Amino acid sequence: MARTSSGIQNQSGDLDVTHDLPTSNRTYNNVTMDDVTSRVDAVAKVTGRAKYGIDQIAGPTPLVAGFARCPWGKAELTGGSLEAAMNIPGVVHAEWTGEDIGRECQYHGQPVAVVVAESVSAMRAGRLALGLTWDRRDCDHDIESAQPEPPALSEEQVEAINNALENADFVVDAVYSTAVQTHSCLESHGATVHHQGERAVVYGSTQSNYGFRDGLGSALGLPVGSIDMHCEYVGGGFGSKLGPGKEGVYAARMSKQFGKPVWLFCDRDEEHLDTGNRPSSRQHYKLGIKTDGTVTGGHILTCGGVGVGGGGGGVCGHRYNFGSVIRKHVDVSFSGGGPKAMRAPGHPQGMFAVELAMDELAAVAGIDPLELRRMHDPSAFRKGMYARGAELIGWSNRKPNGSQAGPIKVGYGMGICDWGNFKVPAQAEVVIHRDGSVEARSGTQDMGQGQRTVMGVVAAHHLGVPLSVVQAKVGSTEYPPGPASGGSMTTTNTEPAMRVAATEAKKQLLARVAEQQQLDADDLAIVDGNVVNGSGKAIANWRQACAMLTGPITAPGSVGRSDPTLRGQGNSEGVQFVKVAVDCETGVVRVLDIVAIHACGIPVCRKTAESQIIGGVIQGISFALFENKLLDRQTGAMVNANFEQYKIAGADDMPRITPIIWVDPDATGTRGLGEPPTIPTSGAIACAVFNAIGAPVRSSPITPDRVLQAVTDAQAPKGGDA
Amino acid sequence: MSHSDLLMKTEMAMPRTLKQACEVQSNGLHDKNDIPGMPLPVLKAAGIDLMDHWKEGLTAPGQVSNLLALRDPSLHRLSADSIGALCTLSAIADSTAVRKSAPVIAQAAESTATPQIRNVATAGGNLFQRPRCWYYRAHQFDCLKKGGHMCFAVEGENRYHAVFGNGPCHIVHPSNLANALSVCQAEVLVVSSAQGTEEPRRVPMHQLFCLPEDRLKSEHTLGPDEIAVGISYRAAPHSAHYEVREKQSFDWPLVMASVALDMRDDGRTIAAARVCAGGVAPIPWRMPQVERALAGINVKDTQRVRQACDLAIRGAQPMSNNAYKLRILPVAVSRAVRLAVG
Ligand SMILES: Cc1cc2nc3c(=O)[nH]c(=O)nc-3n(C[C@H](O)[C@H](O)[C@H](O)COP(=O)(O)OP(=O)(O)OC[C@H]3O[C@@H](n4cnc5c(N)ncnc54)[C@H](O)[C@@H]3O)c2cc1C
Ligand code: SF4
Repeated sequence: MARTSSGIQNQSGDLDVTHDLPTSNRTYNNVTMDDVTSRVDAVAKVTGRAKYGIDQIAGPTPLVAGFARCPWGKAELTGGSLEAAMNIPGVVHAEWTGEDIGRECQYHGQPVAVVVAESVSAMRAGRLALGLTWDRRDCDHDIESAQPEPPALSEEQVEAINNALENADFVVDAVYSTAVQTHSCLESHGATVHHQGERAVVYGSTQSNYGFRDGLGSALGLPVGSIDMHCEYVGGGFGSKLGPGKEGVYAARMSKQFGKPVWLFCDRDEEHLDTGNRPSSRQHYKLGIKTDGTVTGGHILTCGGVGVGGGGGGVCGHRYNFGSVIRKHVDVSFSGGGPKAMRAPGHPQGMFAVELAMDELAAVAGIDPLELRRMHDPSAFRKGMYARGAELIGWSNRKPNGSQAGPIKVGYGMGICDWGNFKVPAQAEVVIHRDGSVEARSGTQDMGQGQRTVMGVVAAHHLGVPLSVVQAKVGSTEYPPGPASGGSMTTTNTEPAMRVAATEAKKQLLARVAEQQQLDADDLAIVDGNVVNGSGKAIANWRQACAMLTGPITAPGSVGRSDPTLRGQGNSEGVQFVKVAVDCETGVVRVLDIVAIHACGIPVCRKTAESQIIGGVIQGISFALFENKLLDRQTGAMVNANFEQYKIAGADDMPRITPIIWVDPDATGTRGLGEPPTIPTSGAIACAVFNAIGAPVRSSPITPDRVLQAVTDAQAPKGGDA
Repeated sequence: MSHSDLLMKTEMAMPRTLKQACEVQSNGLHDKNDIPGMPLPVLKAAGIDLMDHWKEGLTAPGQVSNLLALRDPSLHRLSADSIGALCTLSAIADSTAVRKSAPVIAQAAESTATPQIRNVATAGGNLFQRPRCWYYRAHQFDCLKKGGHMCFAVEGENRYHAVFGNGPCHIVHPSNLANALSVCQAEVLVVSSAQGTEEPRRVPMHQLFCLPEDRLKSEHTLGPDEIAVGISYRAAPHSAHYEVREKQSFDWPLVMASVALDMRDDGRTIAAARVCAGGVAPIPWRMPQVERALAGINVKDTQRVRQACDLAIRGAQPMSNNAYKLRILPVAVSRAVRLAVG
């Protein structure tokens, strides 16, 4: 089903639907607010005209490099021959990536050798010819099998927990868990690197164009200023493409060694195995609640399953007031690929547990979960969204948990999120050419957020020209350094930089027109592409005005870390409401409807912002119901390292998704929207499933086997439930 | 597979007539000039499953015979009692003749995989696709089916594996079409050089597939020189296919049930029933106990229908992680019965 309604709303809930808007551009506190522009590079993307890093060939036909990897969770490399690989026609080089024979590998997918060849097939043949043999060892494959020690609590902590629980009328004691989710970027990780002696050209797939380049300096043995980095389009990153990674580094080293371009991109299985993931979690909640809804506190003891990663498994679930809570976290190691930041790292897994615990507390206390959230959500602003979301999802139709007859039961759930507002230095520039064409440039990148659209809209708006004359350019170190796309900060930082650049470019153009026409520049303005004087009379159209230039104008715009006037203050916030149908005879969960209300300060470009919300929601649905990096309990090998058995939500699994952008009247700028929309979805779905069947499924993914188990639990005789 | 397989060139035959295809299939591409010991060509229809094997490194055939080159129109014929081997799943799903004659077949074709796959995947290829067991599909697991010494699923990850069939390999048969055809008294028509192309050999569904205890490395009984050219089936107007899927597309069903009912003249009483379950056994799994119990029942008597369908799990031997399929199976069967009644 397609999304049917959306729009920008204010706190009173008036729906401001697109077609009612008279013009494409408005401003709010001097920030562009565009309601109609569609993604400017959409056609290039869907027709294949857009070239991604993996498509780029830097000059001559590149050599192809690839890793040979450990096939088991833990194994000793007992044999293999580099020479045998190099004897394969077309193979130019093979080397160990670390120790050679005798090395004990710690996870499936760990690289042990790299092979360089003249073609993909020669590289693959060379990789096989290495003839690697392995002595497989026993290993832990998940949090449970690693048997983590319970966290040490001091006497005072134990006492505090006991006090909190004793003050309560009911206690919820539950263990929640979430599975490992892989980034599953459609474009795999890698780069083509061409070392040309004095300089190097790199085509990479990255969400940090400048960061990727800077990470290659030592591998290339060049000052970073001698490296041209390009990344025009990125097929997804989700946090896993912030640096060059081992793929970029090896491509660079091999290119330096052979003086030729080297192409190294992962295959799909390598993507699942070794390019990071959202770590698993196990979260033990023990919380007390009084009949009046007061949550008295207790403990939240959490583990993050980080594989061989040293850390990064933290879960972030600090949102509701849960009273006096003792929190402890440990990261647990086992034989699995380590994590990397993934779209709101720690938050979806944290909120999966928080939201479901909230609904379990509501159930034991006999309180409507929406009311309980109203009591404990510390954000008055976010609570403003509750009524609208409840109305749109039809919360009044919500039946008590597990109370419906018949096999198909409908359930409702909700979840909340917020996100910090991260500020980093960002630069942009606007170039006006004598022929009237305009370039809006920043060396940031577009991994799907719609960065070209945002930059183009902002530049066009502040210049006063139609978007059609502006070419927005990203993804190259030829352009001034823009921010990395991590932490939801690309738009929040490029918008002000581009605004400054466009305003400055306009000033310079008007100064030139004034000079040429012997007018007062302060009296001139640009309206709909025409230069007009104080009384609104057109002096020159855009082309005529630009033709007066003696050369192109290049106007820089930059914002430093501490420039409060240029950025939005405060956080992004949101709530999501979910309606599901659970087939209690088969265990299949279908999500029917999701209303996602999000505030991101001033929405520069509504359509791309909505697209971020929809994308985040989809990833949340997928996390809730399907995704699971499954390591074999016997061998530690990932059994589903492909897109067939690693299940991701597809078109037929989509509910109706209604994205709503909630405008904060006090907003002074833009705020991040990349990560927040994926935070509440899975928890809200878990709550809706609980509501439908009457017993919680406390582990994601919520698969039919688990649902059927919960249905059995719900039918079993039990004590006080609401 | 070794590295030399990867460097080997693959030759592709483009047979125009069935006779040529049979010759290629018994003699190889170069008619007796082949390198001794060279395996016979691999048949390729749309090649979806063939390419999956190739990409995973499970196969690297030296010779491929491309059945899509065949110009014989009978291979594309679709009627109320026959399906050509090269008919696509979309064509089968869209055929009014098939839908009227045996809705179960059209429904099974329609729910397979994704629209993109259905638009190219052929009937023949769907029947003879290989299993999806993840240990089978990953190169490092040298399991029984690949000539090794153990079934990794027994002590490993077996949530999608079989609950019937007794091993020693615990795959589930992947084909939607095979399941539906099993309740339509279908026969697969097979030609070969030895057999000739005029009078195809007719293989009934229950003889087409074999259990691992009989044959481990292949799931069917055709010889490497044999080519399926079509399917003949009997009309089953009161028939239906029901699937339980984790994901609604781009995935295989957890459990599926195909049901065909012969109704008495009163239109309410089941005279005879044919029931086949998929996703539960290494072959399409007929359920005679359910069939017998359904016979004579009034379809409006939901309780007796349900009791009959509950017999579906009789004899099941679930593995460590797939007992949930036993909850789903009777539900799938009874829902298919309900749909078959119409
Ligand atoms: C993501 C995904 C989901 C899927 N979901 C389903 C599903 O839900 N249900 C389902 O049934 N299938 C499903 N499939 C499998 C798909 O339907 C099959 O791969 C497809 O039908 C194979 O048809 P093909 O023509 O491409 O066969 P090919 O790949 O060409 O051939 C498959 C096999 O059959 C042999 N063969 C082909 N034609 C003949 C013939 N005429 N005579 C003898 N042998 C022959 C070939 O040698 C080969 O071994 C799915 C596939 C994918 C990738
Ligand atoms: S079920 Fe069959 S294919 Fe799968 S591991 Fe066991 S023997 Fe191999």
